[in-house]
Amino acid sequence: MTPTRRGILGLGAAALAAPFLAGRAGAAAPPPVEILMRGNADGSQVWFDPVGILVRPGQAVRWVNRDPGNSHTATAYHPANLDHPLRIPAAAAPWNSDYLLPDEDFSVALTVEGTYDYFCVPHEHAGMVGRIVVGHPGAAPPGGTAALPEEAARAFPAVEEILRRGIVRRA
Amino acid sequence: MLFRFAVAAGLAALAMPALAADQVEKAPPAGSYKKVSELVKLPDFLPGLGQLYVDPKTLPAGPFLAYDRDGRLVSTVYMLPIEDLSNKDKRFDDLAAPGGRVDHVDVYFNAGHPGVEKPHAHVILWHVSKTDEGRVAK
Ligand SMILES: [Cu+2]
Repeated sequence: MTPTRRGILGLGAAALAAPFLAGRAGAAAPPPVEILMRGNADGSQVWFDPVGILVRPGQAVRWVNRDPGNSHTATAYHPANLDHPLRIPAAAAPWNSDYLLPDEDFSVALTVEGTYDYFCVPHEHAGMVGRIVVGHPGAAPPGGTAALPEEAARAFPAVEEILRRGIVRRA
Repeated sequence: MLFRFAVAAGLAALAMPALAADQVEKAPPAGSYKKVSELVKLPDFLPGLGQLYVDPKTLPAGPFLAYDRDGRLVSTVYMLPIEDLSNKDKRFDDLAAPGGRVDHVDVYFNAGHPGVEKPHAHVILWHVSKTDEGRVAK
């Protein structure tokens, strides 16, 4: 695959230095995890695969659009993103991949520990959302999922399941 | 929203006689049609649909004119938001149908895509036979 777009956000100096030093010392830096954007042939279903994942602080997460007939975004639940509720750690920076066409990708490194919820801009109402736990999950966002579209609220895997299994695919 | 809809529907109705006279058999269609992939971030060719053109004034319902890889018209597509279909005060009237003869019709759910982002129904008037649908399958 030849990525035609690559975005890196949230790579502060400290985050950049850590894997670099680890590499020099010969220790394996945590490899990036990949989350695929998928859909079925008629576009009636769209989803992130895996929908839930546990990563280490500073580990890169890369979204790749593998849906040949649609474009998707990976967008943090954050007031800066279309006035959405805050569902990432308060100290973490929000991200928004913007639209990714098929085979395009977008990366972010999450350094602040906690639970991050994100959505696809055109498909939030269709339940295209995902959850990433970085290290320890921390406190759940206040207000629960009441303010979210029904399909989105239903689609998040439980934090306990992510911690237990590491990777959660959709049911 | 309702008002915008009424205006769009009105414009579509006014434009109808002109559209009917326009050339639509080969891409690009004449008139105010624009390539959907140039209006929003979508692939040029959508598997199952083909290459789409729409008059932006008629969004979200369309018609979208769908062409195969050789630029031949294969279908006319309408995209009807589910929330509008389940609203008793809303209706889609007098949608243009410039493509002519219809072989068969498909109706199915779509979760959304740029251009028509809400969950919606695709209503597809196929101008080609069931077997010729393969021309836009992949
Ligand atoms: Cu999506």
